[in-house]
Amino acid sequence: MKSEEEIMSEALVRIFENVVLTEEKSLQAGYFSDLSIAEMHTLTAIGPYESRTMTKTAEDLGITTGTLTVAIDRLVKKGYVIRQRDTNDKRVVRISLTRNGKLACRMNSKFHRVLAKHILSGYNEEDRKHLLDLVNEVDLYVAQQLRRYDGAVNVRKTAMEVAKDSKKENE
Amino acid sequence: MGDSRREEIYNEVLRILSSDLEVSVDDIERDMDLNTELPFDSLQLYEFVIDLEEAYNIKLPDEMLDQMKTVDDIVSLIMQLTEGK
Repeated sequence: MKSEEEIMSEALVRIFENVVLTEEKSLQAGYFSDLSIAEMHTLTAIGPYESRTMTKTAEDLGITTGTLTVAIDRLVKKGYVIRQRDTNDKRVVRISLTRNGKLACRMNSKFHRVLAKHILSGYNEEDRKHLLDLVNEVDLYVAQQLRRYDGAVNVRKTAMEVAKDSKKENE
Repeated sequence: MGDSRREEIYNEVLRILSSDLEVSVDDIERDMDLNTELPFDSLQLYEFVIDLEEAYNIKLPDEMLDQMKTVDDIVSLIMQLTEGK
């Protein structure tokens, strides 16, 4: 029989992989089949409204501005993103979505909302609230673990510290 | 004043709607249900929404759209969001 830890860890990995896979398949079958998942996530990080700076967008995506520049070059060519110099500070590059970019971004966010709606629809109000509380706690915990690696020079050392703390919690 | 503004917005919504859905203005009624009576697919719905956002310089996030049932609801929402602009 599987332990609770095994069931939980397998489910977490499976949920993550299956959401991404479903998203990818829905993209390929839909109107925006020329976009990869990573590109779609870049569009979502830019968002359908105000223009954003390259630096802030790269920060939100957890990538370097160099990596984002390559991605934005492709998205500009595909007609999803507009790149402009800031009118007040010419050193700053701002990015925003074209009409097609906005459409792709909103269709993708609808995909996630429909998925969430279907999952929640199987529960009554009390269970939905309980489920959301638990999911939020898991989300916060994982985000907290991720933050420990942010800016860590020695990732291996950080990983060992995380493992040590987890061991202490289990004792 | 309120009535004429409402009428003005209604006519513009109607124009955008008929252009995005490629249907005649005469085939669209105020109390038509956006989900069941108008021939929208998801992409057309968002084309319509983006056109409205650009025309009125407003934001229409999904949480807000979920509350909209009819063409008239959209007109009321635009009136509310553009008040004082």
